[in-house]
Amino acid sequence: MKILVCVKQVPATTDAKIDPETKRIIREGTKSVLNPFDLYAIEEAIRLREKVGGEVCVLSMGPESAKNVLIEALSMGADRAFLLCGREFAGSDTWATSYALSKAVETVGGVDLILCGKQAVDGDTAQVGPGIAAKLEIMQAANVSKVEEITADAVTVSRMNENGFDVLRLKLPALLTVLKDINEPRVPTLNNARKARTAQITVWGPKDIGADPEFIGLNASPTRVVKTEPPAVRNTVTVKIGGEPADAAKALVGEMIARGLLSKEGTE
Amino acid sequence: MAFRKGAPPGFHVEIIPPKQDSGKLEEDLELFASKFERVMESGFTASLTDNAMGLLAFQGHECITELGLRARPDQVLIHLNTFHTKQNLDDILDSCEKLGITSILAISGDGSPRLPKLRPADVEAEGTASVTSVELTRYIRKHYPSFEVGVAFNPYEPVTHEFEKLKRKLDAGASFVITQPIIEQNAVVDRLLAEHPALPVTVEAWMSKRLFLLSDVVGYPIPEDAAFDPIGTLTELIGLYPGCGFYLSLLGFKTQYPTIEEMAAERRDSK
Repeated sequence: MKILVCVKQVPATTDAKIDPETKRIIREGTKSVLNPFDLYAIEEAIRLREKVGGEVCVLSMGPESAKNVLIEALSMGADRAFLLCGREFAGSDTWATSYALSKAVETVGGVDLILCGKQAVDGDTAQVGPGIAAKLEIMQAANVSKVEEITADAVTVSRMNENGFDVLRLKLPALLTVLKDINEPRVPTLNNARKARTAQITVWGPKDIGADPEFIGLNASPTRVVKTEPPAVRNTVTVKIGGEPADAAKALVGEMIARGLLSKEGTE
Repeated sequence: MAFRKGAPPGFHVEIIPPKQDSGKLEEDLELFASKFERVMESGFTASLTDNAMGLLAFQGHECITELGLRARPDQVLIHLNTFHTKQNLDDILDSCEKLGITSILAISGDGSPRLPKLRPADVEAEGTASVTSVELTRYIRKHYPSFEVGVAFNPYEPVTHEFEKLKRKLDAGASFVITQPIIEQNAVVDRLLAEHPALPVTVEAWMSKRLFLLSDVVGYPIPEDAAFDPIGTLTELIGLYPGCGFYLSLLGFKTQYPTIEEMAAERRDSK
């Protein structure tokens, strides 16, 4: 079985800054990391490969530095890595990104299952995974919390909804976006990490994947970011309560009741 | 055994394995290897940290294996915290056993969103809310009895609470203790030594000149420009606590290590 995981390099959440002019995230000089939700997709892909055999490919679109997140995926145990890189891709919104990634999936060829994290922590749209499935015209399930069963031609999953879970059977090829509940991502071993750092990463430009230049990049993107602002900084204050433990506990409970964090009922 | 009370030279040198996100991994591994081999040659104990400060790093045992280093069994202390999967925990302990390592330092650890936390059932502690160094110690002693397990002692925590916790750790099978860093005579450490005269105690000595980094440990702010003489302080601590081992954190291998070797030689000669 060939499983492909789409991953994204994102700014470390504590380090994100926004350009006041362009309203885009300033990536230069900012620490970048693998989108945390993608770790779960990589881990699930590796577990499925361990179960049914095959290979795990990872795919990303981004600058040259995005190779680092592919190396991280290879360190966890992925077999091959692909990067879409080139200024033609710059400024792509979720529509154009979905198009480019879907063309790359076709170029990799023979992919049975595509896994994505539920969303990227920078854009928070959760649109690219489903977008790829739409472009490829394959079945998809978002917010998957468990892969119940996988066979050569179908995958059965639990999908979270507002009221609980649906159990869905999808004919392969299919795309899943996965939740954090699905697994605990492994920490790479040193042996794998060393191999990953010398592994070949295939870099493709638009021509390599047969992408129509009219469908990629900023000009092909129907979305316009009008305004982006970082969330307000939360002002937290640490209050230390001294004294004997019993007195301190009473004072703490009193403080929590005063702030509405605890009901007075049953605390007497 | 490196932790036997009064056994010379009793220096435990902290070595932090390379970080997972290192951009120069091979270089970092070379440095790790050179530090490790030097500690082995000196007859000291190499204390290998486990994702210190919650920063993802490679494990000490895998660095030893991967680099083909020779671990002298009595001279390696593997730190092991509670932020692992059950599988990972057992793999680490199995690997350490195969390497002939005999000492583990069981600590609760700092954790991070990227690190899984052991569940009570993983260490057969279903009755507890969460896994601490107590449950970890008990598990190691039960399933890997060949290991001597050490635990941390924090003289800056509320004293009664810390001594109660120490009792639980000792009851779980811990057989030696390493303190948090102290920079002068410490009444709580004095009490520890008085109440547990047979317990091997290693005192952590802060070897960085940047004393303010200890602010979080001691619980009060230390000014960034506070002057500090690590070697002078270590000399003083050795005089104050002659029966203890000394854990050297953030030791400068280029600048301080030769002095430490000289101090060890002096300690050997004086015995």
